[in-house]
Amino acid sequence: MNRKKKKILYVVTSGTESPERAYAPFILATTAVAMDIDATIYFLIKGVTLIKKGEAEKIKMGSFPNLKEVIDQAIAAGVKLEVCEQSCKLLGLERGGFIDAAEIVGAATLNDRLLDADAVLTF
Amino acid sequence: MKKINITLLYIKSEEKTILISKIKPSKTLDCTRPYCPEPVFRTRIELDKMKSGEILDVLADDPAAKEDIKSLVKRVGHELLELESQGSRFRFIIRKT
Repeated sequence: MNRKKKKILYVVTSGTESPERAYAPFILATTAVAMDIDATIYFLIKGVTLIKKGEAEKIKMGSFPNLKEVIDQAIAAGVKLEVCEQSCKLLGLERGGFIDAAEIVGAATLNDRLLDADAVLTF
Repeated sequence: MKKINITLLYIKSEEKTILISKIKPSKTLDCTRPYCPEPVFRTRIELDKMKSGEILDVLADDPAAKEDIKSLVKRVGHELLELESQGSRFRFIIRKT
């Protein structure tokens, strides 16, 4: 297959305050990888709270697995996680403390990813 | 693309068109019970283990699986040879390209 790989960017602005919104980006991104689509999740504003170390472990909705398991599954599948660290400052949180797979990037990166993606979905 | 030798027979039942395939699948994957997105993941994992030209037979009963597996196969570039519906059950016959 010589087709150029498609890219989907998931933008997550909701965090631990709305756990019901937390699962879909990871599940969709993992499914995208299974479909040979590059998947990146970009966390900003309250979204950064989901990937602070120790937070996902506390989230479990309905009969879904623990959010940590869903995140680990996404990482193992090859989903890329990018995070805006400045959002911590905005929310009055300590900077950093993100899970190891998350790469700290900035505003220019998000703009670049948006233009580069074939589709963007915001949560 | 190399074509495989397939004979398909369709028998009309009272309510549904039931396909009786003479394709001998290389492998049958039972995805009944798991729900979205598990059938997609399991199908992809199984296809990855197979060789080009081999045929995977996937059984599923999640209503979402019908369009999901079709989308997966299309995106990944394999060939959906048949999609059979029997009540709430689906059977996909996929040829790995």
